[in-house]
Amino acid sequence: MTILRTLMGSGPSSRLVTTRFANAGPSTLIARRLLSTTSARSMPTREPPKGSEVYETPDYLRPPPTPRSPPLSAKYEGAVDPYHGGPSAIEKAVHIFFFTEIIRGMWIVLEQFFRPPYTIMYPFEKGPLSPRFRGEHALRRYPSGEERCIACKLCEAICPAQAITIESEARLDGSRRTTRYDIDMTKCIYCGFCQEACPVDAIVETQNQEFSTETREELLYNKEKLLANGDRAEAEIAANLHADHVYR
Amino acid sequence: MVSLARTLRSIRRVGLKEWWRQLQYIGDAKSGRFAGADQFGNRYYENLNPEEEIPGRHRWVDLAQHDYNATQVPPEWHSWLSHIRKDPPPEDRVMQNLSPPWKGPWLENLTGTPGAFKTYNTTVPKVQPWQPKLMSRGGPSA
Repeated sequence: MTILRTLMGSGPSSRLVTTRFANAGPSTLIARRLLSTTSARSMPTREPPKGSEVYETPDYLRPPPTPRSPPLSAKYEGAVDPYHGGPSAIEKAVHIFFFTEIIRGMWIVLEQFFRPPYTIMYPFEKGPLSPRFRGEHALRRYPSGEERCIACKLCEAICPAQAITIESEARLDGSRRTTRYDIDMTKCIYCGFCQEACPVDAIVETQNQEFSTETREELLYNKEKLLANGDRAEAEIAANLHADHVYR
Repeated sequence: MVSLARTLRSIRRVGLKEWWRQLQYIGDAKSGRFAGADQFGNRYYENLNPEEEIPGRHRWVDLAQHDYNATQVPPEWHSWLSHIRKDPPPEDRVMQNLSPPWKGPWLENLTGTPGAFKTYNTTVPKVQPWQPKLMSRGGPSA
């Protein structure tokens, strides 16, 4: 009966072992490496009963034993050894003194050496950006070419860094437009509140992040610079807003 | 060191001359679909096969100029190169329809050159210096 039970019990697992090594094929190396790097390799495996073809389930295929708390005192009758079945002290000492962990780590480094690199070669390849990415500012225009900003100064009011300065006058046709729209890009914290506050989608933050300068003076943007930014990048800005409009 | 098989495959596809050029710039042998070129002559490539290119490195640009300046990429292609848009601009209907007729010419980052942006005042000054106005001696009638 016990033979039968061991046969039934070890049947699937032994089949698992054979299938694992049968269709290992090209990944035999990896499987071997994974087996060799697991700590289960150093676990003592039980010898199979002599004369029988039935193998016990190897220890490394069994579920890990439930952790037990160490005994409260030595005189406790049901005391269990928490280190029972684990690697012996000599085996642990061997792994310490022969630097096996370091060698395994160096082997992984050697494997990466022969694999294609993950490094993104920056000026030629770029990492992914979101359509909501907040980069350099721009002032947009309507499709007719009329500038959008109506000098409501909501962006100036909400700007936590107080980087925006606006002055406005009435134009000859009676509409109110800004005469000064300055953004101090050295103060700006790129929080995006200005584009959230804008009622006419005039001030936006483009996806351009490559506007670094040599001097601080070049970062004091005025209205003409912001409008020029918008004129150059209008297609990208509008496409991003189009991609994002279903979520807003 | 790159994967030898990948390098040989790319060399076989792009040819030795192009491979030498890639070594001077990207420093890697890459091959893929030609997605298009922009108005400055920069060429853009794409290889969506994850066996050949690591995902994340599957779009790249071959810059026409030799100063490794990422801002030479115009915004439409920048959007594609940064994986914001799926389709390259020649095939992107949304991007084409949203391009206005008054779109300005793209300029690279001109910092450090005479073309660098220098800020100026866009309003009339609020404090006017005193302008001496002289009346002629004989009065307006004379």
